[in-house]
Amino acid sequence: MGRKFRLMLFLSVMLILTLALAACVGDPDDEPASNESHDDTSDESNETTSEDNKYGGVLTVAMIDSPMRLDPIDYSGVYESHVIRSIADTLVVYSEDLSEIEPSLAESWTISDDMMIYTFDLREDAYFQPGEFQDGRQMTAEDVKFSLERSANDSAMNRLRGIESVEVIDEFSIEIHLTEPNAALMAMLTDAGNSILPKDEVEGHGDDFGVNLVGTGPFSLEEWATDDYIQLTRHDDYWGQTAFIDELIWKSISDRNMMVNALRTGEVDIAIGIDGQNRQIVEEEEEISLLTTPGLSIEYAALNMDSGPTADKKVREALNLATNVDDLIEGVFQWGGAERSYLPLPQDSWGYFEELEVEVPGYDPERAKVLMEESGYPDGFETDIYVIESRSSHAQILQNQLKENLNIDASVNVVEWGTFSETAASGNAPIYIMGWSWYPDPDFFLYQMLHSDQIGSLGNGYGYHNEDVDELLSLAVSETVDQEERTAIYHDILELVVEDMPRIELTNVEITAGVRNNIQGFNVRADNTFIITNDTTNVWKED
Amino acid sequence: MIKFILKRFIDLIPTLLIVITIVFVITRIIPGDPAIVLLGPQASVEDVNEMNQKLGLNEPIYKQYFHYIANLLQGDLGDSIAYNNQSVAGLILERFPNTLILGISAILIALVVGVTAGVVAAVKQNTVIDYSVIVMSLVGVSMPVFWLGLMLVLLFSVNLGWLPSIGIGNLEDGFWNFIKYLILPSIALATIPMAEFARITRSSMLEVVNHDYIKTARSKGLSELRVICKHAFKNSLTPLLTVSGMQISMMLGGAILTETIFSWPGVGRLIIDAIDKRDFMVVQGTVLFIAIVFVLVNLVVDILYKVVNPRVNYSSGKGGGK
Repeated sequence: MGRKFRLMLFLSVMLILTLALAACVGDPDDEPASNESHDDTSDESNETTSEDNKYGGVLTVAMIDSPMRLDPIDYSGVYESHVIRSIADTLVVYSEDLSEIEPSLAESWTISDDMMIYTFDLREDAYFQPGEFQDGRQMTAEDVKFSLERSANDSAMNRLRGIESVEVIDEFSIEIHLTEPNAALMAMLTDAGNSILPKDEVEGHGDDFGVNLVGTGPFSLEEWATDDYIQLTRHDDYWGQTAFIDELIWKSISDRNMMVNALRTGEVDIAIGIDGQNRQIVEEEEEISLLTTPGLSIEYAALNMDSGPTADKKVREALNLATNVDDLIEGVFQWGGAERSYLPLPQDSWGYFEELEVEVPGYDPERAKVLMEESGYPDGFETDIYVIESRSSHAQILQNQLKENLNIDASVNVVEWGTFSETAASGNAPIYIMGWSWYPDPDFFLYQMLHSDQIGSLGNGYGYHNEDVDELLSLAVSETVDQEERTAIYHDILELVVEDMPRIELTNVEITAGVRNNIQGFNVRADNTFIITNDTTNVWKED
Repeated sequence: MIKFILKRFIDLIPTLLIVITIVFVITRIIPGDPAIVLLGPQASVEDVNEMNQKLGLNEPIYKQYFHYIANLLQGDLGDSIAYNNQSVAGLILERFPNTLILGISAILIALVVGVTAGVVAAVKQNTVIDYSVIVMSLVGVSMPVFWLGLMLVLLFSVNLGWLPSIGIGNLEDGFWNFIKYLILPSIALATIPMAEFARITRSSMLEVVNHDYIKTARSKGLSELRVICKHAFKNSLTPLLTVSGMQISMMLGGAILTETIFSWPGVGRLIIDAIDKRDFMVVQGTVLFIAIVFVLVNLVVDILYKVVNPRVNYSSGKGGGK
């Protein structure tokens, strides 16, 4: 009998387990949200925690991708720049609200009247992390010259363009000589790709420097397990605030649901990039907060200006009028994560022109039909929309709207990134949906996407060509470095572009992170840089 | 026997060559230039060409192929494209122990639980126990690994907080710390073979228990336990062995999904990441490696088969029962 009983028990347990597992599917989480309460407690503890209590602990940050290379001049993904930024510093950085450029390794700078020479005074208290070829020496002008010239000459990423030479003036000052005036140079210098590196380490390691990154930053590279995690430890000789955290671990979790689960169990403290239904799950969890900010990241449908029906301005206007962007956003971003975008520039860029939003055609299918008739397409036409997998729902909704409102038969081609970029850049896509995201400086959006010199590259794959715009775009970087004067020029450009309607502006995408409530001092930034420790931010972990 | 093993070894060569060729062709055909993926959208045409030259990808495909085979013959799997030129063999050898640990623990769970359930079901044929084993093995076989993995994590990590959800434990932190990371991925990986073992054991046991010699054994007055364990179970082992070989091989496929879900740093995780990054060399190397493991497991099963059941004649090239 005993044996029989044990058997029955075993089988019942198995059965119950199976049922319990099945039951989990239908009910994600029934705990009510209580966001207000923990916000209050965190503020309180902010005041009561003394400096000493903030030190210590291991901070684990999860991201969906696994970094390949950490050599600044080679990195190709944003997630790689997150890691690089915690190890190495650039000459200058963007302020947290992205409104201006602030000192980092450079303490001050002057720009010559002809805008051809930029002079930088370097801080004298920056030390590299100890490595194989030096034991934590001081950073000097030689390193800056070496790093910037290396980026300008050797990087396929072209993150530093138009550099004639970098001259060492004395031990702690340098001059950058340009080939032509370029007001966007300072923005380029904020890129993690232009981090300052120790010459001896880079040359010593050669091709392996990417796995042995050394810089002047708050953390030093300790251990790297390919496609698994990267472990950093505090750099005690850091020139900014000494990091509160002992260890920083960047963990790659390649499934978004699992990333959120790990956040819920506390196995990771911060998870970068929360989207879709996971936003809701994170918001409902008491122990976690969802941080969001509108990002420097836009999505749009580009309309071919060169060939096909969309070469006709009236057709482009009709397509704009026939697209219900709000519906599209509601369909694609059911759980939030994006706002409507009006201009080819994200709202957080300093060149944004809010007053112009009213000039952008709203949803008016009746007027669209009239325009289609006028341009000779009363019964619509056939066309193709190219898109990558992650934006395929954008394309399907657009396809439906165009069919319903204008009887346009658009077939959606969901292609892989390699194929997409080739098709779009070569001007072979009648319509394509893509996203763009870069520095707050409008030049990195407007020049790249609208100057006729960029036709044939991914930025201006729709073949936009307007001589006035070309001229103003060049003027905006060569005439002055004054932000206000440049803003005025960019406003003129935006006006001309809105008139031409080369694209349908869709969304301004949010930057998000899920954060455990015991993590303090962390915030998401619109430019998608994740800062754990620098001279103004210092994240700590409460027990 | 030695002649038999040798012959089977030689038979493996064409199989592996076909695998190598297919993988090589597929990685070249799928869209997405590794140089573009590597360099990012801002890279100029010249940069991309230069990178392709460096990687040897602008040569005619047949040249690349012969080059690859020539290197393989010298035991060189090449260097990774995406991961800082690390050697592919090094990457795989670093990962393989992790996959092995996961695989072995999953197969142990599957065998112990699956076979026991199968034997019990057969002995208690047409009872509630039997039916529940049948139903559960059906559920088990049809459960997608990634879904099961998520459910296990939701229950045991998120809701109950008993076990970690991702990663691998460090043995230096103690044995239990290591085991605790192993439990959920092993169960996820074990589910399908477990169900399969239960099913096969049950049906082959049923076939055996109705044979005359079992009746004879019973009539001799042997205890039921002895009859089942010694006579019936031993004789129903052959089909179980066949299925085990297949299941162990198929487990490598399951391991790819399991490792991805649980962030378990094994060969499966490596291959998924490499495909994502268009790292041809790592994809080729890992697939070849998995193929070798696959055929070796099958070879071992065949040998065991012959040991358990010497009547099997392999000279005709066909396996199978009597």
